[in-house]
Amino acid sequence: MVTPYGIKFAVHIVTSHFGNLVAKVCENLLKRGPLTLQQLVRFTELTSVQVKNSLLILIQHNCVQAFSAEQPDDIVNGQIQTQYLALFDNILHRLRFPKFLEMVSQELDKDCEQLLEGLLQHGRLTQEQMYERAKSFKSGVQNDARESFQKLVTARFIEQCPAPEPFVAEPSPDETPAKKRGAKSAKVVEVRKTLEQCVLEAAAPMEALRFSIMTNLEAENDTEMSKDSSPIMHAGEKRKSDTLELDGEFASDNKEVTLWRANFEEFIRCLRHKACVENVRARLDDGAAIVLRALLKATRAAENKVKMENSASLSLNSIFEEVMKSEAGRSMTLDRVRASLVQLGCPSSMAIDELYSVDLKNNIELARNDEVESIVLKRHGKDAYRMFRLLSKAGRLLETDKISDMTLVEKKDTPKILYKLWQDDYLYMEKVTVTVPRQLNFLLWKVNKTILYERVLDEMYHAALNLSLRTAYEMDQQKEVLAVPLAKRTGPLEKQCERIKKVKIYLESSLMKLDDAIMLFHDF
Amino acid sequence: MSRLQGPLALKRKRPDSNSPSESLTEQERILYDVIRSKQDMGIWTRDMKRETNLPDNVVNKSLKSLQAKKLIKEVVNIQNKGRKHYMAAEFEPSKEISGGAWYVEGSLDTEFIDLLKDQCAKIIYKQRVATVEGILDVIRRTGIFKVEFSTQQIEEILRALVLDNVVMDVKSNGMGEFDSIPVGKVCYICTNKGVRGEPKAGAMASIPCGVCPRINLCTPDGIISPTTCVYYNKWLDF
Ligand code: SF4
Repeated sequence: MVTPYGIKFAVHIVTSHFGNLVAKVCENLLKRGPLTLQQLVRFTELTSVQVKNSLLILIQHNCVQAFSAEQPDDIVNGQIQTQYLALFDNILHRLRFPKFLEMVSQELDKDCEQLLEGLLQHGRLTQEQMYERAKSFKSGVQNDARESFQKLVTARFIEQCPAPEPFVAEPSPDETPAKKRGAKSAKVVEVRKTLEQCVLEAAAPMEALRFSIMTNLEAENDTEMSKDSSPIMHAGEKRKSDTLELDGEFASDNKEVTLWRANFEEFIRCLRHKACVENVRARLDDGAAIVLRALLKATRAAENKVKMENSASLSLNSIFEEVMKSEAGRSMTLDRVRASLVQLGCPSSMAIDELYSVDLKNNIELARNDEVESIVLKRHGKDAYRMFRLLSKAGRLLETDKISDMTLVEKKDTPKILYKLWQDDYLYMEKVTVTVPRQLNFLLWKVNKTILYERVLDEMYHAALNLSLRTAYEMDQQKEVLAVPLAKRTGPLEKQCERIKKVKIYLESSLMKLDDAIMLFHDF
Repeated sequence: MSRLQGPLALKRKRPDSNSPSESLTEQERILYDVIRSKQDMGIWTRDMKRETNLPDNVVNKSLKSLQAKKLIKEVVNIQNKGRKHYMAAEFEPSKEISGGAWYVEGSLDTEFIDLLKDQCAKIIYKQRVATVEGILDVIRRTGIFKVEFSTQQIEEILRALVLDNVVMDVKSNGMGEFDSIPVGKVCYICTNKGVRGEPKAGAMASIPCGVCPRINLCTPDGIISPTTCVYYNKWLDF
């Protein structure tokens, strides 16, 4: 789901990271779908050079993917045109870099974190560039860096960059770019999604190559060979005049080299797992959390997409083994592990060599419910909270009076509360009129999760945008105070500085927490 | 708190119908019969007038005299409180009219409900796992409430507690804490929050915009904007 405020927030992120020109190009791509260079020049009213440079930055930072496809209007002369597609998710991931770094420092070590940090800062780098950067830090012995690099690849936290411009089979008429993606055209958004998927799939290096360092080393040793076999090289494919010369920008002497980038998918997968484990800890207990964590950790590599409905399966013995690896799990007995698996929803009668798998979709769903319910409670009060929970659990239409009876809310207040929830898009309403024996109107209510989630997500993007804007505003207000050297900050000035520090921490941590919720609804 | 003393929806004794109704006038008799025929649904004055074809003043006078003789009573109709509704004295208002067991004179007895909810929650938190019957039993034994509750009533209270997210309903698996409860039986356990604990506020609920009534009017450069926002001023007022 890419909602109107989602786009606004993404544009805000791009503006604050790369400036207005880049943001203008990006905004057009987000709002209109994939565009060619000429179209971009026309829509942005920037010069061709400006647009090109903006695109280079966006591609370098993995926010845009180029692809070529036959333009439907150009079918006659069969022209193949390069189009540029904004990658909404990747733009939002920029917000999550601190989370990614923390994860690497926890799972691997500080050196890996440093290596990744460089990669995140520059978007795409060659292995050599990464080592160079590592050398400039004190710890920089080449071998250490190589080792860290290896670790990052093995953990799949970094990957080879996708092909610069894959060819995508001619899109069907529905998928023509430049279609406006307005507030309510959910259908168009869906279509764009599939196109985005096609492009990303076409661009992705083969699974075997994606995490393979060997090819790269060979490539380094043998330039001749790399010219034919490098995964990002598309031999024989004629570049159009408006294609960006990526190679010229990032590789010296036009030599094909392998570029690496952070593998966002893996990071999001880990964050999803972490969220699931924390949900279980809150809902059940520490034991269940430890067991789920072990199961997910051991089977992470087996997951082929982020939004797995169930975890990959693992035998009880393997789960137990993995549990024993963690400090907290060492005190658990096999029976305790088995009991925790039952708590997690696995059938209890399973034999020892049977495979266990845990329902993750439901786990995510429960967490989403909690988030939405807590908004209802805060915004509309306890009675509304009960009604919403009733309808959300029921999953079907219920009549006003019945709702009033079941939630023990005063009959005359019930319709008012329901109406407010409906106005806020939290409920769906249906009017039913019976004419026999006399005319009676009934109102039926229901929670429609699809509509509701889109609404909630859009509000979350809106709130995230507001948080960021407010942070910028607060900082701007206190510019002068913060410019005063530390030694001279005394008296009221010191207090002001203290306040602004607190405000900053407060706002930023709120944004990070809100981002967790955004991922819950968008990425998980 | 009428409920704490008086019996809950206890059927009243049928009055000796012979004596007072003997002395009714013709019109009073017609009116009384119509009202009585409606049993526990009662009847609205307008409908009475239509059904009996009696003039307004006669109806009004007869109603007064029937009421004085304690043959009929005025009841509140939950569906329409503005309408005067009458019912023969021997009937208790039906659920449709009264709103059900939790209503007293047309209003939901929230104070009473909250008290009962509180008690039930306390019992569950003390016992950790409880069944409806068990809870009912404790309420009876402690005698805090002067009234008798039905299982259904307690179930209704428990359902509200579940919706409040104060307790959870689960099926017994017959193991551990559930070993005294037959497998499959619905029981109630505490959620991890403590009796008075509010559910943990989510990410949205903890920031001003998440609960803001004006979020739809708020735009970056609008009159209502995050930079001018009063909710933020308050929130960041350290
Ligand atoms: S910035 Fe203020 S006015 Fe705007 S949505 Fe947030 S709380 Fe509401």
